[in-house]
Amino acid sequence: MNIVVFIKQVPDTNDVKWTQNNNIDRTKMDSIINPVDKQAIEAALRLKEAYSANITAITMGPSKSLEVLKEAIALGVDDAAILTDSKFSGSDTCATSRVLAAAVKEKFPDTDLILFGQSAIDGETSQTGPSTAVRLGYPFVCHINEIVEINNNKIIINTETETYKEVLEIQMPAVLCISNYVFKPRIPKIKGYIKSQDYNYKSYNIYELNISETQTGVKGSPTYVSCVYKTDDDRNCKMIYAKDNDNFANEIMMEIKEIMGH
Amino acid sequence: MEPNGILIYGELTENYGIRPVVKQLLSKAVELKEKIWNQRIMVCIIGPRMNYEKIIYELGKYGADEVVIISDNRITEYNRNYFPKFFTEIAKKYPPRIILIGATVQGKEIASYTATKLDTGLTADCTNLDIGENNLLLSTRPTFGGQLTADILCRTFPQMATVQENVFKEKEIEHTATAIFSWFDINEEENKIKIIKSTKKETKSKDLATAKIIVAGGKGACKDNGFALIYQLAQKMKASVAGSREAFELGYITKSQQIGQTGKTVAPELYIAVGISGASQHLTAIKNSGKIIAVNKDVNAPIFKQADIGIVGDLFEVLPELIKNFETVNKEENDE
Repeated sequence: MNIVVFIKQVPDTNDVKWTQNNNIDRTKMDSIINPVDKQAIEAALRLKEAYSANITAITMGPSKSLEVLKEAIALGVDDAAILTDSKFSGSDTCATSRVLAAAVKEKFPDTDLILFGQSAIDGETSQTGPSTAVRLGYPFVCHINEIVEINNNKIIINTETETYKEVLEIQMPAVLCISNYVFKPRIPKIKGYIKSQDYNYKSYNIYELNISETQTGVKGSPTYVSCVYKTDDDRNCKMIYAKDNDNFANEIMMEIKEIMGH
Repeated sequence: MEPNGILIYGELTENYGIRPVVKQLLSKAVELKEKIWNQRIMVCIIGPRMNYEKIIYELGKYGADEVVIISDNRITEYNRNYFPKFFTEIAKKYPPRIILIGATVQGKEIASYTATKLDTGLTADCTNLDIGENNLLLSTRPTFGGQLTADILCRTFPQMATVQENVFKEKEIEHTATAIFSWFDINEEENKIKIIKSTKKETKSKDLATAKIIVAGGKGACKDNGFALIYQLAQKMKASVAGSREAFELGYITKSQQIGQTGKTVAPELYIAVGISGASQHLTAIKNSGKIIAVNKDVNAPIFKQADIGIVGDLFEVLPELIKNFETVNKEENDE
C-alpha cells in the first residue's frame, strides 16, 4: 500500500511578533510543522505497522519548507518530496489543490491513501484536503477520529458531525483529513534523525508537475486579499481586583444584575 | 447564462427542520441583495420525501425568493455520495453570483466540493460579508490564528463563503418564497462511501447555540476540582457549561461543549470565562457575545482585552463567593 501524507510548514501563531506599525514580523517568527499534520504522519505510521506500507511525505513551499520533510523522515516516513517553484507562491486553497493533485497524478499515481491534517493553524480553512480529493476524483472524509481497518481496498473509519457519530466504509484510493486530538505523535528515534540528514529529498517544480502558469500562484488563485489589519476586539475592560477587596463579590453581582437587566 | 443572485445551502437538522445558520445567512443575504440590484435569493434543500410547506413558508419569512427542493426517500441523513454533487448541479443549473454555506461539517464538505467542481474561490469561516468594489462579495475572516483580520475578494463566479453558526443574527421580514421541485438519479452501486453505522450523539448540556448564559472553563480550571465550581456556578445561574480546547483535551468537557475555531462559535447574552487565558481562536469564537466577564489570576491575560468586566483573582476564591451570592439571590426570589 502506498500512502501520501501532505504536510505544511506554518508560522507559529502562538508566538506572534509584531513590528511597530502593527504588522506581523515574519522574520522574527519561528516556522513549525503544522501540529495536526504530525498526527496525520502518526496515523500513516500506525497503518504501516499494521498493514505494511510505503509512506511519502509531501510539502509545498519555499526551499525552507524542507525542514518539515526532515522532521517527517525522522519520525519514520519512507520518502519525502518538496513541490517548490517561485510560481507557486501566493496560491490560495484552490491553486494549492491544483499543485497537490498534479503531484499525485504525475509523480505518485499508484497512491492508495492520502492523509491530511484537518486544518492548518495559519489559514484554518479545512479546504485543501477535500479540494485535492475532488480534483483527483477520489472520495474524501473529514474529521477522522479512528482508522478501524483496511480490507479489500476499502478503509473503515470513525468520524463525527455535530449530531452523529459515524462508521464509514470508503473505497480506496481516498483522501482522509485527520482530527487534531486522536493520533498522538511519537518521538523521533536517533536512527530517524540520521536518515533525515542523509536522505536525498525529491524536488519538483512547475514544469515537472505539468502545471500551467495560469493555474497556480497569485495568477491562478481566484481569491485575493484586499486588506489585512490587526484584529482589534478591545472592549475597554472594567477591572475588579479580588485580592484585598472584601466587597468584590458584591461588585461583580451588581455588574451581572445590570447585564441581565434585573 | 449571466450569474444571478445568492444561493444558500439549506441544511436541515436531524428532525428535518431548518438549521439556525440558514436563517442567519438569509438575513445577511437580504442585506447584500439591497446593495446588488435585481438579484434573487435561492435556498437549496436536500432531504427525504415529505411535506416541505412549513419549511418553504419559514424560509420565505427570512427572505428567500425561491426554494429548490431535491427529495428522495433514500435520503434520510447527510450522505457524502449525493449532497455535494446535488448542490453543485443546482449551482450549475441556476448560476449564482454568490454562494453562502453554513460552516458545519457537512456545509464545509459541500462547499469544498462545489468550489472545486466550479473551479472558483471559497473563503472559509467568514466573520462578516459585504459588497465591495465592482459589486464583488467582500468576505472578512480571521487569519493567522485570529491575530489578523483579512478582507478577501474573489475574481471568479460564483463567489463562495462559509460562515459559522451564530456569527450573523436572524431577522424576520414580510416575504414569501416559491418552491421548485427537482430530482436526480441515485445509483447506490456507484457510491464510494458506505455508512456502516450512524449513532446520534448524546447531548448532556443545553445546546450552546441557544444558551443565554455560558460559563466556560479553561486550563486554569483543569485542576483541583475547578470544573466542579464551574458546574455549580452554572447551575445557580441557569447557565450552560463550555470550555476551551485544553478542557476538552483533558476530558472535563465533551467535544460539543468546546469553544474555539475547531469547536463552536457562540453568542450568548453573557459569557463568563474562567481560567481561560484567551487564545486568539477562542476570542474569535466568543466575540459576538453580548457581555463578557473574565476571571483570571494573570492581569496580563489576553482575555481581559476582549472582556467587559475583568476579575483579577484566583478562581478558587472568586467562584465560591459568587456561588454563595447566587444562592442568596435564588433563595430570595423563591421566597417572594
